[in-house]
Amino acid sequence: MQEKKIAALLGIMCFMLTVGICVQMRTVTSTASRMGRTYAENELRDSVLKWKEKYDLAYDNLETKEAKLDKLRETASTSSEASENVKAGLEQNNMALGFTEVIGSGITITLKDAEVATNKLDLSSSLVHYSDLIEVINALKNAGAEAVSVNGERIVNVTAITCAGNIIKINNEKVGVPFVINAIGSSEKLYGALTMHGGYIDKLKEDGVTVEIEKKDTITIPKYNGVYKFEYAKVVE
Amino acid sequence: MKGKYTMIISIGLATLILTTVMFTQFKTVEQTDITAIETMRETELRTELANWKTKYEEMEIKLTETESKIAEYQSQVSNSAESETILEKELNETDMYLGYKKLQGEGIEVVLKDNSNTAIDRWDLLSIVNELKLAGAEAISINGERIVSNTEIATVGTQFILINGNRIPAPFTVKAIGDKKYLESAITIKGGYIDEMKLYEKTVEYEVKDIVEIPAYSGKIKFEYAEENK
Repeated sequence: MQEKKIAALLGIMCFMLTVGICVQMRTVTSTASRMGRTYAENELRDSVLKWKEKYDLAYDNLETKEAKLDKLRETASTSSEASENVKAGLEQNNMALGFTEVIGSGITITLKDAEVATNKLDLSSSLVHYSDLIEVINALKNAGAEAVSVNGERIVNVTAITCAGNIIKINNEKVGVPFVINAIGSSEKLYGALTMHGGYIDKLKEDGVTVEIEKKDTITIPKYNGVYKFEYAKVVE
Repeated sequence: MKGKYTMIISIGLATLILTTVMFTQFKTVEQTDITAIETMRETELRTELANWKTKYEEMEIKLTETESKIAEYQSQVSNSAESETILEKELNETDMYLGYKKLQGEGIEVVLKDNSNTAIDRWDLLSIVNELKLAGAEAISINGERIVSNTEIATVGTQFILINGNRIPAPFTVKAIGDKKYLESAITIKGGYIDEMKLYEKTVEYEVKDIVEIPAYSGKIKFEYAEENK
């Protein structure tokens, strides 16, 4: 009789122990995974910072080297008039490739998603899409823009604008609203062409997109930080 | 005797339950770990990390190029004729990137045609140029007009599209040099360019080629309003 009691007691104790361990483990797991997660995130954050630092360092290094190269080109071109012309051509080319920061007159266009819901049923049309950016840049080029940037990203010949979900990328860099498009050229001509009745900006306004256009005397457009690399194309003489 | 058996059985049972619960617990732990890795924040951080790595690598490439140019100039510092040649070499290279040279290489040719229902418009061309650039196209032309940094693709009337200031009628032949597999998949991807064109009943044909020839830009990129900010 007493043995039965002991057995029952042991059984109950074991059961309670199990429950206890279960509860305990569950708590431990949730804290551990939360901690583990933040730990992993911190690790990642650290490496992101580390790579960014490496990039910054390489960037500074490049600036120094480029300045040195410029000096060497200078020395190389002083020998003759012909070489001076070559150097001037090279400088012009580097500017056209987007390798220098440029300054000049022009216009600034700001595009924002509609702030209030328009009476249109299609809400999507009142948002700024990647296609809108491509169209506006194209319209600027058509009006003779010499340099264009969107949110600080220089638009060069190899620039692609992509859209994945609701993230727009230019030169593989994320850009978001408001979109500030800077263009250097004749401010009168650019302004006139872009505000033209029936033009693309007109269409955007009709769709409910908030558009601001401003003529400016001085606009600075940053340089392109990417690379040009031809692997497949060969020059045909 | 009977009491001993009861005791052994109840202890055995309790141990069995305990073991089962523990194993279940271990399984759950494993599963939670997997979902923890896939959280949004971490994914974002991973993308960010990959992004900076790519940027750094690009910067390294540029740095190496600049360094080798410096070395070239320095090795010829006493020989002015030689350093002139280096300058010219640099000029030629930038000419190539800008579109001033006729190029040849593997790539793709896409033909866009008007049909009885639809006509090819500006966006069809702007869009394919953008897609091809994204796929790493090194040179692009439309009906012999080289696409350069200041090229416009504009609508003029209903029959022409203006490219580099020239009126171009349909059909449009878009040529691109680059990795032919990338270029092909960039436009044939599900829901991509060709799918979209078909959705609008537009006529698109393409051919992957080992040799695509792309003419040079006949104009010159000029700056009247922009100057270098030193």
